[in-house]
Amino acid sequence: MSRNLPREALTSGERRSSGPVPGPRWVWPRTVLLLALLLSAIVFGTGLGSVTIAPGEVLGALWRGLASQFSGAELVSNDVIVWQIRLPRVMMGVLVGASLSVCGGAFQGVFRNPLADPYLLGVASGSALGATLAIVLDWPRALIPVSALVLALLAVAATLSLAREGRRFPPTRLILAGVVVGSVLSAATTALILRGEDRARQVLAYTLGDLGFSGWRDVLTVLPYAALGCGALLLLARALDTLQLGDLTARSLGVPVERLRLIVVVAASVATAGAVAYVGVIGFVGLIVPHMVRLAFGASHRILLPLSALLGGALLVYADLLARTSPLSQVGIVTTLLGGPFFLWLLRREKEI
Amino acid sequence: MKSILTLSLALASVAGATTYPLTVTDDLNRKVTLKAEPQRIVSMLPSDSETLCAIGACDKLVGVDDYSDYPQKVTTLPKMGGLYDPKIESIVALKPDLVLVSKYGKIVEALAQAGITVVAVNPETYEEVFSKTLVLGRLVNREQGAKFLITNMRRNIARTEILTKNAVKKPTVYVEVDPTPYSIGPNSFMGVLLSKAGARNIIPASMGDFPKVDPEFIVKANPQLILGVDAKAAAARPGWGSMTAVKTGKAMALPKELDTIFSRPGPRMPQALAQLAKLIHPELFK
Repeated sequence: MSRNLPREALTSGERRSSGPVPGPRWVWPRTVLLLALLLSAIVFGTGLGSVTIAPGEVLGALWRGLASQFSGAELVSNDVIVWQIRLPRVMMGVLVGASLSVCGGAFQGVFRNPLADPYLLGVASGSALGATLAIVLDWPRALIPVSALVLALLAVAATLSLAREGRRFPPTRLILAGVVVGSVLSAATTALILRGEDRARQVLAYTLGDLGFSGWRDVLTVLPYAALGCGALLLLARALDTLQLGDLTARSLGVPVERLRLIVVVAASVATAGAVAYVGVIGFVGLIVPHMVRLAFGASHRILLPLSALLGGALLVYADLLARTSPLSQVGIVTTLLGGPFFLWLLRREKEI
Repeated sequence: MKSILTLSLALASVAGATTYPLTVTDDLNRKVTLKAEPQRIVSMLPSDSETLCAIGACDKLVGVDDYSDYPQKVTTLPKMGGLYDPKIESIVALKPDLVLVSKYGKIVEALAQAGITVVAVNPETYEEVFSKTLVLGRLVNREQGAKFLITNMRRNIARTEILTKNAVKKPTVYVEVDPTPYSIGPNSFMGVLLSKAGARNIIPASMGDFPKVDPEFIVKANPQLILGVDAKAAAARPGWGSMTAVKTGKAMALPKELDTIFSRPGPRMPQALAQLAKLIHPELFK
């Protein structure tokens, strides 16, 4: 992966004049392009599904759904499908896709490692263990995400405490500790699955990631984690840019490197854990989307992180649409199965240019 | 997957006694030869354990898998692990002359290498429950018992069917086998039982035997009865509160015993059908 920084990331020439996303003039058309892609994903995701509903009726359903929030009127048949099943599912896709992509981009930046993804520090294996515990012990379904969230955060805490050297968190030690914690927790999960064989499929479905049964309540529960975590990461974008010059240079430019690393790790883990707790471990999005944005739009984190959010949200909604209307059946399968080849194609094209 | 039985001596025994050595083609398409009547059997499939006991070969069992729980006698036998974590060494230590396994899992190679006779007998469809019972009967020299059991099962199933066949209203039903959600298609053995119990399955045959279902499809189908999800869980799902079954209190988890026997392609199929029919048509069983 190239780590060449666009010059404008480090010069302060145009920064004051161009609104919330600083940088060169071409950022806006591309932002608009990705916004349009996200909007189209929301439109198609809400309009299409395994039940065929006419576009006019979808619009009517959205209107009646909105109105029912204020009037308390009860929705019927297709309105229920559009307003209570499809739209929250789409919104969950946007939230999760955006969160994973922003966190992936931030992790790749803070570890200066193109292979970093949001699950680097054990969030995925922690949440999988939490969910598996809840499933195998037959706890009420509402407790599954809670258990997943708690164990995901505990896993990150374990990784951090293993990697700590005094007040420092060296990247290599963090990555190694993450691998170890992840492996141990995965082994524990496997042992649990083998003891609860009749529930193995349920656990497997969780570890592949699935947006089914996402309702408004789930969306509103995930929203604060995503907003807090990703918000913090977006605010740290400039510091992440500086960090690309190496720890020493960043320090001499006044970036508190160690503290930055810790804050990024904690913020990204909170956002990732919130998302994963509700929809399971959706692979690949957090790894690939930031690279796609880098290839197409440049590597400055102030551009990379917000655009990754837009692209990630759009891609996950499209992937889920494909999942629920085809035998591929789960969004996690779609992202990995189609994401891989597409990304390889993108890389090859990049070489030819 | 039809398992074809070829008797190495082309004399179909009149008295129903199996002649050994016996060569069978099992459910993994392996040719296996039994030298003599098996006396020490390990069954790694709950439905096979039940069938062996029901045809009078219970005393031949020396070990079972972790999930075999019926009849009472098998619960006292040593447990040999599950489908994915079988205790190969313990199985070998029991010195079995026959091990019955599922088509799935990786147990066959290891046991065959240890020189143990392994046969995969894995009923999956409704009719296979009967045909595999007969296969098991021949394997262990209990063909008479097997035939008797099959006749009995068919008779008991017919008893329930007579009642449900002419039911005036056949409710539409959604059956959930796990909350991912997976359901059952009409051609699976559970689907066959469901229609014999006088219900109309909302899942079309085109979706397959154990399809993963899109939640919006279930809401659209609006079944009159939901089995496998309790009322509270059903009402909590996004958009499900609007469904007829949820509103009329017709969403329920399966009773524990029925849950077990309904998903087990073995000799208790008639009981599963009777209990299912009672749930769907309580009015017929007064």
